[in-house]
Amino acid sequence: MFVAFLKFLFRWFQRLVVLAALIALGIWLFYIGREHQIFLDNKNFENFKAFEQVNVSINGGEEIELMQRERNLAKVVEPKFEVEAKIFNDDGEISNVVKRTVNLCFSKDIMINLPVFAVSDDGFIVPAPK
Amino acid sequence: MIRKLFDIIANNAVPAIFILISAFAIPLSGFSASYLIQELLTRIGRNSFLILSLLIPIMAGMGLNFGMVLGAMAGQIGLLLICDWGVVGIPGMVLACLIGTPIAIVLGIFCGHVLNRAKGREMVTSYILGFFINGVYQMVVLYLMGWVIPITNPNLLLSRGYGVRNAVSLMGIRGVLDNLVPTIITGTEGANQFLNINGAKSFLLLQIPCLEGSIRLPLGTFIVIALFCGFIVWFRKTKLGQDMRAIGQSQSVSDSAGIPVNRTRIIAIVISTVLACYGQIIYLQNMGTLNTYNSHDQAGMFSIAALLIGGASVSKANIMNVFVGVILFHLMFIVAPMAGKNLIGEAQIGEYFRVFVSYGIIALALVLHAWKRNREREAARRSLRGNKGGE
Repeated sequence: MFVAFLKFLFRWFQRLVVLAALIALGIWLFYIGREHQIFLDNKNFENFKAFEQVNVSINGGEEIELMQRERNLAKVVEPKFEVEAKIFNDDGEISNVVKRTVNLCFSKDIMINLPVFAVSDDGFIVPAPK
Repeated sequence: MIRKLFDIIANNAVPAIFILISAFAIPLSGFSASYLIQELLTRIGRNSFLILSLLIPIMAGMGLNFGMVLGAMAGQIGLLLICDWGVVGIPGMVLACLIGTPIAIVLGIFCGHVLNRAKGREMVTSYILGFFINGVYQMVVLYLMGWVIPITNPNLLLSRGYGVRNAVSLMGIRGVLDNLVPTIITGTEGANQFLNINGAKSFLLLQIPCLEGSIRLPLGTFIVIALFCGFIVWFRKTKLGQDMRAIGQSQSVSDSAGIPVNRTRIIAIVISTVLACYGQIIYLQNMGTLNTYNSHDQAGMFSIAALLIGGASVSKANIMNVFVGVILFHLMFIVAPMAGKNLIGEAQIGEYFRVFVSYGIIALALVLHAWKRNREREAARRSLRGNKGGE
């Protein structure tokens, strides 16, 4: 009787383990497979002034050119990605190159304010427009 | 001798008719060999998994599982949810399978219980059950999604705020499995052209010297289909597989031998429904568009037509029937409109002809099966009487 009960418990334990593993797999797939919209914003933000021109590439991909007060959109699939911003001065020469890694975790879409991104490690991620 | 010849013709009548029609239609269509091969390879990859999912219920003596549309609906719900969440690529496809699996299991159990109460009339019961569950599916998708089930993506929702649109783009997962191992088959000249156009992109290049043009091979899908074929071969040899075969031969004998007939039949339907769910996801990742309210409708009919055209019957089917069927059935799809246009001047005539022949073939296969079964019964009765003369 006791052995039968133990067997019953063990079978249910096995089922629960498989179920938990499948749920964990689902969460992991959701985490790594989610496509994020990254809005790139080259506008004045609080005390930070927009750049004349800034070229942004995500994960070493094609560069996106943003002039003053422009906004553009990029799509990434992984939750963790690298953003490189090449900031141009008034003469059209590269004055600064900033590279940072962004981790979105489970959030979907974000907006990166480039004037803040160029100077600060945090605070450059703002809610994406709807 | 004549009887044997008659038996061979009767057993292979359907594929023979299709081969004959195709032999006339291919030259009339004027399509090149590389175009036909390309189209066929794409369609084999797209449909084979769905058709293979029909084999297990046939093995268990449950006939053609028209209830596979239940699995297809489960797969579509998985796809709708990943579209809403924005999960793309292979993870998106696997997640859709994960979401669809429990829904398909529940629907399969329900279908299995219903079919156990309608023994001997499984096909018509599962066909009507498909319509019933279609109503439930439409209620979920048309009324509950966006209202009870949260859907945040405005591109998915109808303008009224709830209910899913009729056409949903699956661009996020389009061709992800087909192009998992990008493979091109080209002739010698085609290889150079292809390299010039595509540069250093990574793909597997196979060369066949006499081939004109290039053919894209959905190798990823073919690998999955090959694994599934391996699973079916292995499954037939397992205890459960043997039980299903025994039940397919005779339910009363299996019951007497201690095989849990009803339970095994439910398992057969559950496996078929879950595999149909995966098959529909593979089918739709190839198409790239989900027709929310209609995509699943034809899944069962097309798969069953293809299997019957491949020479299968209601009680006997194998992997070879699947591939012969998908080739012959889809060859008709490709060549019939153009053959009709070149012959009569109207593509629509060819398409009507294809539809007429394809579904006429289902009727013919079912009639042949009923006729054969009656003949076998008559022969068995005669042998019991000890009358070998036929009177």
